Amino acid sequence: MSTSTVVPPRKRLSEGLTVTQKVFIRSRNGGATKIVREHYLRNDIPCLSKACDSCQEIVVPDASNQLPKFVLSELPQPLPNGIGKHYVVLDTNIILLAIDLLENPDCFFDVIVPQIVLDEVRNRSYPVYTRLRTLCRDSDDKKRFIVFHNEFNENTFITRRENETINDRNDRAIRKTCEWYASHLTKHGIKIVLVSNDRLNREAAQRKQENQAYVTKSLFEYVSLLPNAEDIKDLIPNTDSTELSDNKDEEGLSEFVFPEYYSTARIMGGIKNGVLYQGTIQISEYNFLEGSISLPRFSKPVLVVGQKNLNRAFNGDQVVVELLPESEWKAPSSIAMDSEHFDVNDNPDVDESEELTDKTNSIIISDKQRRLLARDAIHAQKSKKVQPTARVVAVTRRSWRQYVGQIAPSSVDLKNGGTQNVFVILMNKCLPKIRIRTRRAVELLDKRIVISVDSWPTTHKYPLGHFVRDLGGIETVEAETEALLLEHDVEYRPFSKKVLECLPKEGHDWKAPADLRDLEANSKDPLLKNRKDLRDRLICSIDPPGCVDIDDALHAKKLPNGNWEVGVHIADVTHFVKPGSAVDAEAASRGTSVYLVDKRIDMLPMLLGTDLCSLKPYVDRYAFSVIWELDDNADIVNVDFTKSVIRSREAFSYEQAQIRIDNLEQKDELTLGMRALLNFSIKLKNKRLAAGALNLASPEVKVHMDSETSDPGEVEIKKLLATNSLVEEFMLLANISVARKIYDAFPQTAMLRRHAAPPATNFEILNEMLQRRKGMSISLESSKALADSLDRCEDPKDPYFNTLVRIMSTRCMMAAQYFYSGAYSYPDFKHYGLAVDIYTHFTSPIRRYCDVVAHRQLAGAIGYEPLSLVHRDKHKMDMICRNINKRHRNAQFAGRASIEYYVGQVMRNNESTESGYVIKVFNNGIVVLVPKFGVEGLIRLENLTNDVNGAEYDEVEFKLSFKDKNSGKIRDVYVFDNVEVQVKSVLDPITSKRKAELLLK
Amino acid sequence: MSRLEIYSPEGLRLDGRRWNELRRFESSINTHPHASDGSSYLEQGNNKIITLVKGPKEPNTRSQLDPNKATLRVTTNITQFSKFERSKSSHKNERRVLEIQTSLVRTFEKAIMLHIYPRTMIDIEVHVLQQDGGIMGSLINGITLALVDAGIAMWEYISGVTVGLYDTTPLLDVNSLEENAMSSVTLGVVGKSEKLSLLLVEDKIPLDRLESVLAIGIAGAHRIRDLMDQELRKHAKKRVKHASSN
Repeated sequence: MSTSTVVPPRKRLSEGLTVTQKVFIRSRNGGATKIVREHYLRNDIPCLSKACDSCQEIVVPDASNQLPKFVLSELPQPLPNGIGKHYVVLDTNIILLAIDLLENPDCFFDVIVPQIVLDEVRNRSYPVYTRLRTLCRDSDDKKRFIVFHNEFNENTFITRRENETINDRNDRAIRKTCEWYASHLTKHGIKIVLVSNDRLNREAAQRKQENQAYVTKSLFEYVSLLPNAEDIKDLIPNTDSTELSDNKDEEGLSEFVFPEYYSTARIMGGIKNGVLYQGTIQISEYNFLEGSISLPRFSKPVLVVGQKNLNRAFNGDQVVVELLPESEWKAPSSIAMDSEHFDVNDNPDVDESEELTDKTNSIIISDKQRRLLARDAIHAQKSKKVQPTARVVAVTRRSWRQYVGQIAPSSVDLKNGGTQNVFVILMNKCLPKIRIRTRRAVELLDKRIVISVDSWPTTHKYPLGHFVRDLGGIETVEAETEALLLEHDVEYRPFSKKVLECLPKEGHDWKAPADLRDLEANSKDPLLKNRKDLRDRLICSIDPPGCVDIDDALHAKKLPNGNWEVGVHIADVTHFVKPGSAVDAEAASRGTSVYLVDKRIDMLPMLLGTDLCSLKPYVDRYAFSVIWELDDNADIVNVDFTKSVIRSREAFSYEQAQIRIDNLEQKDELTLGMRALLNFSIKLKNKRLAAGALNLASPEVKVHMDSETSDPGEVEIKKLLATNSLVEEFMLLANISVARKIYDAFPQTAMLRRHAAPPATNFEILNEMLQRRKGMSISLESSKALADSLDRCEDPKDPYFNTLVRIMSTRCMMAAQYFYSGAYSYPDFKHYGLAVDIYTHFTSPIRRYCDVVAHRQLAGAIGYEPLSLVHRDKHKMDMICRNINKRHRNAQFAGRASIEYYVGQVMRNNESTESGYVIKVFNNGIVVLVPKFGVEGLIRLENLTNDVNGAEYDEVEFKLSFKDKNSGKIRDVYVFDNVEVQVKSVLDPITSKRKAELLLK
Repeated sequence: MSRLEIYSPEGLRLDGRRWNELRRFESSINTHPHASDGSSYLEQGNNKIITLVKGPKEPNTRSQLDPNKATLRVTTNITQFSKFERSKSSHKNERRVLEIQTSLVRTFEKAIMLHIYPRTMIDIEVHVLQQDGGIMGSLINGITLALVDAGIAMWEYISGVTVGLYDTTPLLDVNSLEENAMSSVTLGVVGKSEKLSLLLVEDKIPLDRLESVLAIGIAGAHRIRDLMDQELRKHAKKRVKHASSN
């Protein structure tokens, strides 16, 4: 890309503003385009140092009339070796490599990020860019990061020279910035330190300036200068290119070599020609050496089997794959395999070479043949058991984040006090071990630690990473809770000061005005006059016992015309959480509250969630009310939405409410209303089921905690009362009514929730099992047919069988998802599980962000207040939906993991024999579900029999026959079999993870 | 979606301007004295526009003849090389171009004293040599200058500018990158007043933000009017000097 460089003319427009042209060549789709853009240079860009007095005079306010804040301290941290007080200027490679380190509160203060670096970071990795931006925004007093717009400053802007590459030019721009800062701040005695891992850049800096106006250091050198260097050195990312050790990590190399990734050009060409495919890889839960990729061209996922074929892909990475020749197509493996038990004895220092068949590389296939192969592959998926397989040829986007794990004890040399390489086994079973270098290996044994993955060079069998921090001892409640929150990417830190500042100043003393027409109150809140006073209605709330964030309350009142007025009142969160405020941004990013067994991670600060918004009894609260007129058949005559003020008369638990309704002595108006609600709810439910709503099941259990010691007591299967369904029915009704209303008002951006019909392929295996074993089948024609066929799956001898089938079909379902209405056409809005054409979430704004958006949209739809732009913009709604879908999923997983942990703790104390069901049969084991604890576990063949080779696996009959360990007789185990298993909780010696171990009796 | 930092937290736009700054504005008039009765060449940022005014003259066809006032006609030639990528079509009868022409005619019908030129036609020809966003505003400015050069009686200057709205920040005089990334409004402002002869809203824009957008747009248009005025006076001085020396 060398151009005959004509230096673009600069033209002075006015005092302090010059214009020039930026000329560059962009190649896209094979063509080259010359791009000319205007580029304005100015003299009003401040250095943002508090020490500087000249820059104070040049600053100008921005669009909201705010002057820039001067952030960099006048007394920055001093360094030894004659450097003294200093500011740091970062190079791009440091930010991309060590963003974790930059975020560390104990190092990197007073940092200048040149704009050119920021731009480069943004082009290379957008997530890192966002983190850097957050760091600059939120680090006012503590870390003091700023962005300096060197490209727009007339003193630091440079034009590209002839034959200079763009990278060299950018490096020069960074050095120019350093020079400018150094000379700008000399009189205040503040030095500039340029931190860069690019040796050429550092050398150029040293060559250029003999007088050493500023200092250059590599990351390692810089960290070594810090007073707390010893602690921080462990946190420096581990890559082969860093000059951490000059011996170049020789021990880490081995003969085991992964195939190199294809070049970008080849990938682009391949994808275009249809010989390479791009998709997200999903590693099998049971076998970490087997992945699958869903590709739009293929009806079923394509398999990727084996370490070499996976080629360094992580679970969730976006990868490019190439089909393997037909001779290597396989059936999905029926072997279960964990990374923790695989190659346990690998030495982190010497990677031994692996004997993997490497035929693929020797076979050369032309593009034409590949296309034929693809056709065969699609055909094979439809007809045969053998599945086409593929291999990864490139990873386009890494899903790397921070992971929780623990050091594999076998990899630690206890006598070695210095730095050593050790393996970290991650909690997520689908991921490989990570190799890290640390000095504290011995100290960190038996601790849960957080690590971050840095790179995976072809010559290493395992990826390289570095230690981030330790969470505490294994099996301690704090460490385990934090680990599981981190693993599921749940934000659990306390709310920041900026968020808390958004709350009402009155705090807990906030009160709804006694009179809505009060002039003073109206002048403070101009929208107050649009609120309806519903304090005369007999409203009550029904929730689980001990609930403090009460989202919803209900009332029913007989109307003179014989119909009923039924109201659902939802906490008016959006009165307090205004769009664009810090608390809104925080809630949007958290997306949902997370419920763990012993802990709740709130989406909104406590003051709102449990007090001001919560519809507590006996006090006035703001609410958003949906009020229907229902006739005796529970058909809607009329519906009305309004913001209101309510006063809940009583907060019931499900049980209390049930008792009150059942007690025929009680004849007061509130109870009569509740009885009416119950009657309506039964009618509503029947209607819903008649329309084909599904009644699915999950093996949900609840852990009882000892109230004093907060030790887990016993495990109980969740019970359902009629009052549960009372509340649920009205919430569903409210959600549906609101969904219709907001879709009507905002046809393009309404926040909705859909549940797609499951593809038939999902049910194939389950249906085959049912057919073979029980002679039953599940129909997928419609949700009604599915519901009916599920009802028919009864085993007269075993009442639990029906629930088991429901549990298993739940797993075949698609996940429901949030979306904005412009994303799908109306027929696709359908909620399959509930059998309604349109649905949203409106009723729990305290704990879900979707509901907050729905509230705002409904307020806009009824003309209460204009809807914020954010919720009228498709692109922004898309971002919100994506985030809350992800958060919702993570919250569910975190909740389940928490239950799993506590169930493990309960079982630890009492070993027992329970009845369980076989739900999957593998070549080398069976998976058993124990309903009482809601746990399932794999029983390996080794634990079933002494004669592993004598076992027979019949995949048509879903049968495993083996010689029983105890009796010595041949035993056949089929899927769906009810078996007695011994349940105990064991600590896995390698992963130190407690899990249920099942043994067949 | 583009991942550009349209408006940085430090208050700078993609090209280094602040929110309320116009692009480079350079103009000259009477550039094509032989080809037309009035002409102008305008550079507003990287928009480069030649405008030629012919008339008042006898209409070509009878249908263009109006006994009470002059007929105004605008033809726009958006050249194939005006954007970064050469376009294949000539843009001649494109809907978008026809729409631009109609709105330009409407804008200037009110500003020109058409009634003093009955039974004539005023033909305006615009050639866009290069475009970089906010083209409509630049077209208005170019036409105003050329009309003045042609000596056609007008009530006031019309100055045009495009204002974008990025989140809650209005950005004055958007370039093509900005225009593609957000919704924008084009104004044609009458002289130094707050009267609009054109308000072109082609994207969705929240009503509650429109006021601040209009405010900065009007201020920007007034600034453009002053720049045009300066140029005209400079030119006039030269002409007068030239004439007197003869």
